Amino acid sequence: MSAHHTFSRRSFLAGTGAAMTAVGIAACGNGSGNGNGSGSSTYSLLLPGDTPTDWTRVRDAVNEKLRADLGFEIEPQFINWSNFANQSLLKFTAGEDFQTSLSARWLNIAQLIEGGSLQPMDDLLASGDYGNLTAAVDESAFDANRWSDGNVYGVPAVNSAARIHCYVARGDLIDRYAGGEITSFDQLEQFWYDVHAGEGIVGYVKNNSVFDVLGAPTGTMFAEGWESPSMIPLYFSSDSLLFVPSRDAASSGVTDAVPFWEYQPYVDALRRARRYYEDGIINADRLNVDSATAGALFKSGGAATTWAITDGANTSAHLSQLEAAVPGASLVTLLPFADGMDARPNQTFQADNLVVVNAAAADAEAAMALLDWVSIQENHDLLQYGIEGTDWTPVGEDAYEPTSDYANFPGYALSWRIPLERRYSRMSESEQAWFEWSKDYNNFTQDPFAGFIPDLSAIETEHAQITAAIGEYGNPLWAGAVDVDEGLDNLKHAVEQAGLATVQEELNRQADAYLAGQ
Amino acid sequence: MILAAPAVILLLVFAYGPMAGLVVAFQDFNVADGVFASPWAGLENFRFFFTSGDATRIMRNTLLLNVLFLSATLAVGVMLALMLNEIRGKVTKRFFQSVIFVPYFVSPIVVSIFLQAFLAGPGGRGGLINDAAGLFGIPSVTWYTEPGPWPWILTLVKVWQLGGYMSVIFLAAITAIPEEVYEAGEIDGASRAQMAWRITTPLLKPTAAILLVLGVGRIFYGDFATIYAIVGDNGTLFPTTDVIDTYVFRALRTRGDFGVTAAIGLVQSVVGFVLVVIATMVQRRYAKETSIL
Repeated sequence: MSAHHTFSRRSFLAGTGAAMTAVGIAACGNGSGNGNGSGSSTYSLLLPGDTPTDWTRVRDAVNEKLRADLGFEIEPQFINWSNFANQSLLKFTAGEDFQTSLSARWLNIAQLIEGGSLQPMDDLLASGDYGNLTAAVDESAFDANRWSDGNVYGVPAVNSAARIHCYVARGDLIDRYAGGEITSFDQLEQFWYDVHAGEGIVGYVKNNSVFDVLGAPTGTMFAEGWESPSMIPLYFSSDSLLFVPSRDAASSGVTDAVPFWEYQPYVDALRRARRYYEDGIINADRLNVDSATAGALFKSGGAATTWAITDGANTSAHLSQLEAAVPGASLVTLLPFADGMDARPNQTFQADNLVVVNAAAADAEAAMALLDWVSIQENHDLLQYGIEGTDWTPVGEDAYEPTSDYANFPGYALSWRIPLERRYSRMSESEQAWFEWSKDYNNFTQDPFAGFIPDLSAIETEHAQITAAIGEYGNPLWAGAVDVDEGLDNLKHAVEQAGLATVQEELNRQADAYLAGQ
Repeated sequence: MILAAPAVILLLVFAYGPMAGLVVAFQDFNVADGVFASPWAGLENFRFFFTSGDATRIMRNTLLLNVLFLSATLAVGVMLALMLNEIRGKVTKRFFQSVIFVPYFVSPIVVSIFLQAFLAGPGGRGGLINDAAGLFGIPSVTWYTEPGPWPWILTLVKVWQLGGYMSVIFLAAITAIPEEVYEAGEIDGASRAQMAWRITTPLLKPTAAILLVLGVGRIFYGDFATIYAIVGDNGTLFPTTDVIDTYVFRALRTRGDFGVTAAIGLVQSVVGFVLVVIATMVQRRYAKETSIL
C-alpha cells in the first residue's frame, strides 16, 4: 500500500466494525429506568387513554416532588383505550422494562399471570414498608382479588363497592322527549327512537363491546339486565367466549355452563342490537372507530346517550366539552332498573382496575414505593387533579373544582384510593345519587362464582383459537352489523372447530371444583 | 471487496443474523426464559395456524390481493409513464409527475381517514360516496360491513398510492430508449400512438420483468400498513381482506405468543422464497431475452 493512503483496508474494516458495534449497543437500550441528567432514575408506566391536557406541566410538578421524596421520576406512556389491552399484553410478553400497568380480568391478567409477567405482591405488602398504601386500601379488597394460586398480583384501584355499566344521557333531550324522566328500559328505548326521529342523531353511541349486549349483569342493550340483574357470565378471558352457568349452580354444585347463545335473553339482546343498527339508533361504525372517536360524537352533541359506569367520573368526563358544543346541554346518569335503587345486582366484587407491577420492571420496590406515594392525599391530589390553586380548588370537605384544562388523569390505573377521592363539584345530582349507591356493599348480591378465577393453562391453544373466532364472528354480532342467525351460525361453526367442547368441559370442571370448595 | 464490506456486514447483521431467531418458531417461547431456556414445542406452533381453519382463506387473500395490487400498479404505472412521456411542456410534465407521485408519501393512517370520509360519515352513516349515490336515488351501502367490494377498494387505494411511483421508474426506463429507434419509426410513418404501443411498451419489458419478479418475491407479504390501517379489527371484512401479516399481527397482539407468530412468519418466508424461484425459472424459460436474473 502506498504511503499517501491515509486510510488502510484494516483501519476501514476496524472502523466500520466499531461503528456498527456502537450502533448495535446503543440500539439495545430500552429507554426505561434510565438516568435523566439530574442524577435520579426515570421509570416508565403504562396508562390507558389519551394524554391529559397540560400533562407535561403537571408531570414536572409530580416529578419534582417524587425526586425529592423518593429519588426517581416517572414518564408514563399513555396508550389509547382501543389498543390498551393488546399493546400492554405485547409489552409484558416482550419483556419491556416498565414499572406498573392497569390490568384486570376483563383485560388480560389471566394471560399475564400464566406467563409469569406479574410480580406477586404479598411479601412486599407484608414487609411493612408501604404503610400509606395498606392504610388506603382495605385488606378485604386485596383478599377479594386474590388469584387462584393464592397470590395478590394487583392493587385494587377502585372508588366504590361495585361498578355498574349504565348510561350517561343528555338531560336537555330527556326534558324535551321523555317528560324529564326515564325510569325503565322501555322508556329509554322509546326516547332513543324519538330523539332519532326528532333530532336526526343516534340514540346511543359507543365503540364495540360485548358487554353492551351480553350484560354482566347490566348492559346498555341488554333489557333483561335492568329487570333482573342477576346474570354474570363465566369466561376464561372477556375477549373470548362467554358461558352461562346454570341458575341453580350454587345449590346443586353443578355449573353446567353453556355457550351464551343457549341463553335466550342474550340472543334477544343480539336481535335488539341488530334492530337498532338497522334503524339508525346506534352508531354504525362501532367496528371501525376507537373509543375516543365514539366518545367525541357524544361530546359534540351527535348522540343522545353514551356508555357510562358508576365510578363518579361521568359528568367530569363529558360535561365541559358537551356544553361548549351544545350550549344549555346537561347530563343525567341513567340506571333504569325496574326496582330503581332497590335493585340488588349480582357482583363478583373483583376489581375492575388492578394496578399490577411488571415482573420485568427495573425496580419492583420503586414501583411499590410509587403506589405508596400516591396513597398520600397531597400526592394523590397533585397527580389526579393537578396543582392546587392552578388546576383546581377544594370545594367543601371532599369535592374539587377544576380551574384549568387539566382533567381526566386515569387515576383508576394508578392512584384511585377510596378514602382519598374527591368529587367533581359539578357532578350531576343523578350521578351523585348512583355513585353513593354504588359505594354500599349492601346494595349488591354476591354472585355464586364471585371468587372463581379459571386457569387457562390446560386449554391455551383452543382458547386462543376461540378468541380469534370471537374477534371475527362475535364482534360484528355485538355491533349489530350482521344478521343474527347467519352470524351465530358462523360463530358456532368457528368455535366448534376451534375446540369449544374441550374449553367448555375444562371451564365446567374448574367451576364445579370451585363450588365444591365453597 | 473493501467497498462491499459495509453492505455485506449490514446484510449479515440485519438480514442473516436475525434468522437465528427462527428457532423461536419451534419453541414454547417465554421472554423470561429466553431463547436458550425456553422449552421445545416441535411443530405445535404451526398447528395453531394450520388447524385454525383460517390458513386457506388467509393464503388465498394474500395471493389474490397481491396479484391485484401488482398487476394494477404495474399496468397503471406503464400507462401513466406513456402518458407523461407524451407531454411536451417541461413544466406541465413536472407538475403532473409531482401530483401523481405525492400519494406515495401519504401515511396509510391518513389514507384510512380519507376512506372513512368517502365511505362512511360521522356515526358510520353516510359518507361522500353514499351521499353522491343518494342524489341519483341509489341506496346507500354500509361499506364497512360488506366484504365483497374490498379487494377492489384496496386495489384502488394501492393504485392511487403507487401508480405515480411506478410511473417514475418506467419513465426513467423510457428516457433510456435510444432516440434513433423513434426516428426509425417516424421514417416508417408510425403515429405517436403506434410508437408508444409498438416501440416504447415492448422496450419496457425488462423493467416490468424485474419489477414483477421483485413483486412476486413479496407476494406472500400482505401490505400490512395499508390493510391494517384501513380494516383494523373489523371482522366482517376479514373474509376478503385478512392477509398473513394482519393475521400474524392480530395473533401476536391478542395472544402475545412469539412462537406462533414466528412459525407463521417462517411459513410465509418459505412460500415466498419458493415463489421467487418459480417466477425466475418461468421468466428464464419463457422470456429469456428480457430476463436479467
